[in-house]
Amino acid sequence: MPDVAVKPTTGDTTGGSRDGTPPAAFDAIVVGAGPAGAAAALTLARAGKSVALLERGIFPGAKNMYGGVVYGRVLDHLVPNWWQDVPYQRWVSRRATMLMTPTQSLTIDYRSDRWIEAPYNGMTAYRADFDAWLAAKAEEAGATLVCSTTATSLLRGADGRIRGVSTDRPDGDLTARVVIACDGVNSFLAKSAGLYQAFDPSNFTVAVKEVLRLPREVIDERCRLTGDEGLDIEIVGCTAGIPGGGFFYTNRDSVAVGIVVSVIGLAAARVRPEKLLADLKKHPSIAPLVRDGELLEYSAHTIPEGGYDVMPELVGDRLLIAGDAAAMCLAAGIWLEGVNFAIGSGAAAGEAAAEALDQGDASVAALAGYRRRIEANFVLADHRKFRRVPHLIMSERVQRQYPPFVCDIVEKMFTVDNPTPKLGLRRWANDARRTHGVRLRDLLRDGAVGLRSFG
Amino acid sequence: MSGADTATTPQSRPSVGVALKFVPLRVEVNPLTGMVSADDRLAGASPADEAALEYGLRFAEAWGWDLLVASAGDHRCEPMLRAAMAAGANAAIRVVLPTDTAAPVVAAALAEALGDCLVLLCGDYSLDRGTGSVPAYLAAQLGAAQALGLVSVAAVGEGTVEGERRLDGGRRERLRIPAPAVLSVEAGVRLRRAPLPAVLRARSAPLQVLPTPVPYAIDPAAGTRRPYRPRPKALPSPAATMSARDRVLMLTGALSERRTPAAVRTNDPVQAADIVLTFLRERGYIS
Repeated sequence: MPDVAVKPTTGDTTGGSRDGTPPAAFDAIVVGAGPAGAAAALTLARAGKSVALLERGIFPGAKNMYGGVVYGRVLDHLVPNWWQDVPYQRWVSRRATMLMTPTQSLTIDYRSDRWIEAPYNGMTAYRADFDAWLAAKAEEAGATLVCSTTATSLLRGADGRIRGVSTDRPDGDLTARVVIACDGVNSFLAKSAGLYQAFDPSNFTVAVKEVLRLPREVIDERCRLTGDEGLDIEIVGCTAGIPGGGFFYTNRDSVAVGIVVSVIGLAAARVRPEKLLADLKKHPSIAPLVRDGELLEYSAHTIPEGGYDVMPELVGDRLLIAGDAAAMCLAAGIWLEGVNFAIGSGAAAGEAAAEALDQGDASVAALAGYRRRIEANFVLADHRKFRRVPHLIMSERVQRQYPPFVCDIVEKMFTVDNPTPKLGLRRWANDARRTHGVRLRDLLRDGAVGLRSFG
Repeated sequence: MSGADTATTPQSRPSVGVALKFVPLRVEVNPLTGMVSADDRLAGASPADEAALEYGLRFAEAWGWDLLVASAGDHRCEPMLRAAMAAGANAAIRVVLPTDTAAPVVAAALAEALGDCLVLLCGDYSLDRGTGSVPAYLAAQLGAAQALGLVSVAAVGEGTVEGERRLDGGRRERLRIPAPAVLSVEAGVRLRRAPLPAVLRARSAPLQVLPTPVPYAIDPAAGTRRPYRPRPKALPSPAATMSARDRVLMLTGALSERRTPAAVRTNDPVQAADIVLTFLRERGYIS
């Protein structure tokens, strides 16, 4: 490796001269400057390690799209008072879950004043801004950010051990004592390291999103918001029976509307995702919110929604994986979270790597502190707790039967068709069950799974 | 990097200079307000400037010369200069100038920074509604030959380049240009990808910062570029006795007969001149 003007490594007992190879250029290489990578680099740099943060986009966040809300409390210990300079769009004051059929919708809508004051709950943010902000924090702490550079493979020494990464630049081999792969949902590094036993497409969904420009006051009026308040709606039953869901959320002067559907289900249904999105935008409950919006961005992204049971090995010899690369996305119906898990896992990976580097050993055993950390905090605890929920949410019953079943019950409750007397909830429920083929034992079993998971 | 952090420009060998301009590569226009906004993260050297840099690197390699890059602007152009150093430039200079400074001032600043270079390259014009006049001003400042709007250039002998330029009718002209010369090139050639070690080195490489040239520093209004306004067309006032409809028709020219624009479609210069003279005579411009 040619000499480079970076902070010297803090010791070189791994991946360095002990086995006859040249010294490593960096203590650690973090691949991918998304939330996971930036958090890992920030943690390592603060621990006094030399760290290269590689990003394939022209700046951190340039390659990202976004379809949700960032829950920032995970930043409390990484960036104290983060809300003072985080590039947010709106603080989410209203969370709503909508059950939908082509002609009906039922919304549970919650609003809280506590969510629009520090330390806040969730915020909508453009990932291009948010990722760049967090990566800048890592740079300020001493990380070396290298953009427009793609890590193409793991670099291995003569002994087969990982020595760094190869990149797509000329003379692009970069050595380090440990590599943290935060290279996103299709993590080629984790796959090439053999950490994924099997790559099953049924564990992935594809999200398609439109960002529509609307004047701020129009958004405020339509969504009943004031100031920096924001609205986030998660939708079930809007994907023509294909396992998945939809979302709508507000930015400052734009709104995002999109769908998330199973890759396998989409292929089987032979439906274009843009058709599903167009249908959602035409739904009477969504159309008034997006009317006259000017299309700013149309994008698509793959999401790892398989949950705890499909996570890969998280630790390899001189290698850790975090964020989407490690399938750390919680898709548990009312909770759709990813960025907070990316930051949590990235920070833990950084801490574990720094600890291993201090010991001069980056073997699987020495890096085991990573798994211990995320087992102990929310990252794996939440995934383990809700491990059954992704299957439940994506099931035929939740996707096809329950939304019209519930909507029909509610419709009958609120329909006054005198002189017919009100039949009562049990009768309405039984009628709706028969109409939509909902079996009582399925209802009870799914209810039990839900109670066990959410309870 | 502050102005105090300066590095000595290599002077031992002759050098090729490349002038780069930091421009927004993507802008958004708000359709309601007409407000134009640009993201600095999506800004940098234009494709034409990158082509100039690539040609500069080729010349420096072919002749064994140094390559200097310079830009006139604020601190935002430093990542662009560092990227040029990563691609192979030996040194980079930033002249402190406000954005939207007029072309003669920019040329004077660049002449100060790159005045010792025997061959200077620029993009043909900048993407932010540039007129392509900086290279011409630069050549005038330096007393160098100028060859502007070149499609391609190639090194021939040391310090001499051969360039190709478009002519009307799809034809090209080939020029042999000896140093000292200022060349501006069209986009086309892609800038080489910088090696990773060079990218890492360029992050902390010294960058020379020159102050704003004195004659312009003391007169901030000098050469300030104003917002674009189309040249007004003077029209005589309609007579007050005319009806409102006729006044509007007169001022707008609506419904009035127009002659199609005349085009000179001959390769014979004498015949072409006759056509132009007849046209001007018919309209009363010449008698």
